[in-house]
Amino acid sequence: MVCTIKTGLAVAALAGTFLLPSSLRAQDSMKQDDMKHDKMQDDKMMHDGNAKTLETGKFHGKVHATSGRATVYQEADGKLVLRLTNFKTSNGPDVHVILVATKDAGDDANFLKSNTERLELGKLKGNEGDQNYEIPAGTDLTKFRTVSIYCERFNANFGAAPLEKF
Amino acid sequence: MSRNKWILVLIGVPVLGGAWWAFRPEKLFINQKVSEAAPAALSSEPEALYTGKLEGKIHQTSGRATIYKNKDGKEYLRLSDFTTSNGPDVHVVLVRAEDKALEQEIVKGDLEHVELGTLKGNQGDQNYDLPAAVDLNQYQAVAIYCERFHAIFGVARLEKF
Repeated sequence: MVCTIKTGLAVAALAGTFLLPSSLRAQDSMKQDDMKHDKMQDDKMMHDGNAKTLETGKFHGKVHATSGRATVYQEADGKLVLRLTNFKTSNGPDVHVILVATKDAGDDANFLKSNTERLELGKLKGNEGDQNYEIPAGTDLTKFRTVSIYCERFNANFGAAPLEKF
Repeated sequence: MSRNKWILVLIGVPVLGGAWWAFRPEKLFINQKVSEAAPAALSSEPEALYTGKLEGKIHQTSGRATIYKNKDGKEYLRLSDFTTSNGPDVHVVLVRAEDKALEQEIVKGDLEHVELGTLKGNQGDQNYDLPAAVDLNQYQAVAIYCERFHAIFGVARLEKF
């Protein structure tokens, strides 16, 4: 009798601790739950527009202080655009924006010397301010994970932004 | 002028010219400022203000939290690429990034926060409206917070987009 009461209490206590223990295990994913699914659709519609954000990363660079953000967008027609925002670096000669096939890049890294694969996006339009660069169609963004502000003349990396999935 | 001086000038001027061309030292003091508009496709989009990556605390949590501003000025939080553990009474809240309580997994006492709503799902992309009066300079972090057990599932510290 005492044992039964004890067991009953223990069960009640357990049930109380996890009021909805099943919810811990159930994958309450938007895809699986119909009601939630509808809500998800709303969230999607509210947000879905003409452009998708694919990647983003923050600039770092000490030798030539570089800061701001690099973001890769995909427009509705599939075109990829790199946009720099809140951007600032030092002015210099022959400075370019490139993608490099590395995870990140150290200050003053020389990509020529290290034989790193790179992709030219264009001459740096300005050393301060928001700016856009087209990324050639077919660029493999799983390979090119870093945006670099690169001085071609001296093969010096002014600053780099490692990209992260958005 | 003596011959030596002429030779010095003849050599010195091109060398100085070459050095100037290579280094363009005046660029150290001259800024070239641009302010390009966002790509046309983005102009009709909500503007991203802040973003941060979610890091797991007591439960594994990953994904990204971004705060957008709609064209009509309304702000909302969007979780993308999001996964956390399911649980009871889980909420999405804004917290102070510098709050010492964020270093704990289970908060002792109360966590100062701005409620954004009950977590809609423990996986997938989702949006939460921000109260109109919220001061984003004060609340620079997003937390996935279990109110019943004061457990912080995950935190994203927001950075300027």
